[in-house]
Amino acid sequence: MRLPKFDYVAPKTLDEALKALTAGGEGCRLLAGGTDLMVKMGHGLTAASLLVAIKGIEGLHGIRFDPSKGLSIGAATLIAEVAEHPDVLKYYPAVAQAARKTANTQIRNMATLAGNLCNAAPSADNAPVLLARGAEVEVVSQKGTRQLSLDDFFNGPGQTELARDEILTQILVPPAAKASGASYQWISPRGKVDISAVCVGVNLRLDGDVLKDVRIALGAVAPTPMRATEAEALMEGAKWSEALAEQVSAKASEESRPITDVRASAEYRRRMVSVLTRRALEEAHARAVENWGV
Amino acid sequence: MQTYAIVGKNVPRNDAEAKARGAALYTDDLKLPGMLVGRILRSPVAHARIKHIDVSKALALPGVKCVITGEDTPKVKYGNWRLFPDTQDEYPLAVDKVRFIGDEVAAVAALDADAAAEALDLIEVEYEELPGLFDTGAATQEGAPVIHEYCPNNISVNRKIQYGDIDKGFSESDYIREDTFHVHAVSHAYLEPCSSLAQVDLDGRITLWTSTQTPYIVQCLLASTLGMRENDVRVIKPFVGGGFGGKMELRPFEFCAAFLAKKTGRPVKFTLNREEEFLTGRRRHAMTLHSKVGFKKDGTLMAKDLKIRLDGGAYNAMGPTATFLCGNFGAMLYRYPNYRFLGEHVYTNKPPASAMRGFGAPQSLYATEVQMNMAAEELGIDPVEIRLKNAQVTGDKIPDVATISSCAFKESIQKVAEMSDWKNKRKNLKPGQGIGIGCYSFISGGVFNWFNTQFPFSAAEIRAYADGTVHYLTMASDIGQGSDTVLKQILAEELGLRMEDIRITSADTAMTPQADLGSWGSRVTLMAGNAILDAAKKLKAQLFGAVSARFNLNVIYELECKDGRVQAKGRPEKGVSFGEAVAMVQKANRGEQVVVRGAYTPRDKGLVTPAFSFGAQVAEVEVDQETGVASVKQMWTAHDCGTVINPKSVEGQLNGSIQMGLGYALSEQFVMKDGQTLTTNFLDYKMPSALDMPPSKVVHIDSYEPEGPMGAKEAGEGLVSPTAPAIAHAVHDATGYWCKDLPITPEKILDGMKQNKK
Ligand SMILES: Cc1cc2nc3c(=O)[nH]c(=O)nc-3n(C[C@H](O)[C@H](O)[C@H](O)COP(=O)(O)OP(=O)(O)OC[C@H]3O[C@@H](n4cnc5c(N)ncnc54)[C@H](O)[C@@H]3O)c2cc1C
Repeated sequence: MRLPKFDYVAPKTLDEALKALTAGGEGCRLLAGGTDLMVKMGHGLTAASLLVAIKGIEGLHGIRFDPSKGLSIGAATLIAEVAEHPDVLKYYPAVAQAARKTANTQIRNMATLAGNLCNAAPSADNAPVLLARGAEVEVVSQKGTRQLSLDDFFNGPGQTELARDEILTQILVPPAAKASGASYQWISPRGKVDISAVCVGVNLRLDGDVLKDVRIALGAVAPTPMRATEAEALMEGAKWSEALAEQVSAKASEESRPITDVRASAEYRRRMVSVLTRRALEEAHARAVENWGV
Repeated sequence: MQTYAIVGKNVPRNDAEAKARGAALYTDDLKLPGMLVGRILRSPVAHARIKHIDVSKALALPGVKCVITGEDTPKVKYGNWRLFPDTQDEYPLAVDKVRFIGDEVAAVAALDADAAAEALDLIEVEYEELPGLFDTGAATQEGAPVIHEYCPNNISVNRKIQYGDIDKGFSESDYIREDTFHVHAVSHAYLEPCSSLAQVDLDGRITLWTSTQTPYIVQCLLASTLGMRENDVRVIKPFVGGGFGGKMELRPFEFCAAFLAKKTGRPVKFTLNREEEFLTGRRRHAMTLHSKVGFKKDGTLMAKDLKIRLDGGAYNAMGPTATFLCGNFGAMLYRYPNYRFLGEHVYTNKPPASAMRGFGAPQSLYATEVQMNMAAEELGIDPVEIRLKNAQVTGDKIPDVATISSCAFKESIQKVAEMSDWKNKRKNLKPGQGIGIGCYSFISGGVFNWFNTQFPFSAAEIRAYADGTVHYLTMASDIGQGSDTVLKQILAEELGLRMEDIRITSADTAMTPQADLGSWGSRVTLMAGNAILDAAKKLKAQLFGAVSARFNLNVIYELECKDGRVQAKGRPEKGVSFGEAVAMVQKANRGEQVVVRGAYTPRDKGLVTPAFSFGAQVAEVEVDQETGVASVKQMWTAHDCGTVINPKSVEGQLNGSIQMGLGYALSEQFVMKDGQTLTTNFLDYKMPSALDMPPSKVVHIDSYEPEGPMGAKEAGEGLVSPTAPAIAHAVHDATGYWCKDLPITPEKILDGMKQNKK
């Protein structure tokens, strides 16, 4: 099919972008790296009469870290930048892990972290860890600014809480608590460069020998990235043991709602939720033990 | 061992710099003034009668110059087996019926790609759907719908081979096993999607630039489908980004480009996109192989009975040749005193399968090699030993088929076992680790002439000049495998010239000597190489005559072309430079240009090939026992390709083969539902990437093929076969699971492990 005609603007400031977005009406779309949007438009899955490119907006670029407030990632920041940023690597190793795993070099150099979330694919590689780490997103429209938890962000495949005239401006990740750890685990049929068939992000904290802030997020096994809350509850307040990790992982697997598609069968996915959750819990636990003194 | 000046050296590839700089022009890079863009409308249904087509709305769209359907064309069927016109079952555009999702129904030429794309949406086609057949079982059932009227049982070709006494062989066996294997279809996935550009000249002749492995075949079949004379069609092959067997027939877009160019009087170009390639491109045959083998207790092979069904898809394409070759490969590698083969090529309502690197060997040898490893295990014999016991050797005869004129198979097996530390490794592996072996043999070109060419299989023309240069013309097609470089090396060696002294013109059917059957079946080095030697011999006779006269040499003197000179052997002072020798011949002929021609056609070489390659490969894998993910840690290969003309080029073939074998074994497959291909991009079609490549070591066994140019035979295809069985064996070693149903996915490994525990 023919790529339909559309207009294109590349504003320099957030205000101009918001103005264009509001004025653009129904057919207006934000363009970040375009690695999802252009593919969809090329296949007629998304229509647009106007694209508002946000990569030229200075204020949306950059990664900032403050030990007390945490991490802020601007909406125009590339996944490649997240994967290599020294503060992310040091204080948010699981976030870097997920970014590094996303797509391939070429795509990471085009695509944004915000785009990965706003595209709301069930398999989005960066969603599970950010969910597990309790990330929030800042959203701006001409009416004002709001901040919402990533837990409340995804509504369905390709659907988010964002209103048509809103721009996600930054992703905020709280600082890691003392004696806490996170992990990202994934599996894909092709090995090194591939969309995940299942992915899991986990966060936990050790309070003495008791586990706290247990958060388990699953990708590619439900219409949206999801939390396995029953599994979390099993672990919250309990003492670490391998048997418990097994039990919690089995619970997460029960909670998942995978389908069969060209990448994997539902049955295999369910099995892998269990394996990957256990591995993520083990890695997160090991990191928490390591971070005891930090 | 003979020493050479240029053969055997890592001469840089002719095309390397142009490709690295992006200067190499592929068909889609070519632009002509007034050029139109072509697109093809494809069937959305798997099996249907066409009731009615209305192109009026498409024609009315601004920018659209021409729309054609099957009804507008001469309706001439084509196919590569011209000798058997019954097998020619394809129309360039559907006539009355469509037979797979993607079948070509109409074509559009427009001012730009957008208009062409939009025009496709405006063509109205009314179909009367027929029941579809999506596997060979359904297609061969009594009363199944008929896909081609001429072929009521949907089995378009069958081939039988039999020698020895199969019943006696089995009755004398101590151990017999029967297994059924399913191997799947995979994509060539060449990096350059198909592209063709046609132009009509003032006299109405056609020039077609096209991404093809076989310019000569395209020339002939295009002429017949257009109702033109063969020499009114000129086919030129620009740079080609890979073919692997997927670009060796006439294809509908080639016809449509030419036909639309004739109708509009303007150049027309078609370039497929990747989605079209995955949806409708050729593919390797899926097959069901039922194999029964018998052994003596000591591992001696007694008999083999092989029955194969090929899932051919909607048309024959190169399926008949693949059917034939499967049977031959089934009898290769080992000495089967008694052998029987039945191969059946079955029509289904799926995209046509065709030739793909290995041409029947990867499938046939998967069954052979996995079964060999199973038998070794059950008989308690080391897989290396059982192979050495049965391996073919130089001089072996395959009844009615061929005599093996050179074979370093045993040496390859021994070498690969040594390189991989086979015996120790097998004893010392940790849980989840495994090591496995697979072997191959392949043809160096075919001796069969089903295309029914009236010309030699390969030909060469050499024009020699007084300035010391030569111009070498050949129809042989470099499609990225590097044949231009290798053929130049052979010529340079033979004439004692340097690479830069040789200009090459290749693969232009109007300019280069008739003919060359193209790049497939690993035929080019041997056949085009032999044609060069034939031409060079004639040139040398003239040069030697002139030098002999000039120095008044005793008739017993031998002469040679060496280091840019033509001279008496051992008496370099009795000689002149190559250019001076050419000038002398030219003078003697009163100025006439010095031109020689040479040719090669295999004769009295049996039914299959003039020469066989052999080799053995070992794979080490590690399987994650919880996820079932298998990763290949290391590959070792030892092989016999005769004289290695360009080591780097051979290693390139090996690396590419491992990449393809890896995908075949572990990750690539067309996921299909009711004839619809669901994996239409590289996201879902899982081809291994550079990051997935395991480290690999190779040894070329020193051997010499008497029928090959300077002792060379093939290295381009055979190497793709051993990888999947070696990996399957290693996965078995690691997990206990035998894969009889490719690909070896993590899910299958986990299920297999579960069953073994029970
Ligand atoms: C070859 C290939 C491989 C890929 N592999 C992976 C992979 O392994 N893992 C993975 O998770 N993804 C993968 N992707 C998908 C894609 O690259 C990612 O989702 C990427 O992060 C999208 O970011 P982008 O900047 O390109 O988004 P865009 O395509 O520009 O935008 C995506 C969507 O988000 C909206 N949007 C973008 N920014 C904002 C904003 N600030 N506020 C509001 N809405 C916004 C857009 O309007 C659009 O609807 C792959 C894609 C390709 C083409």
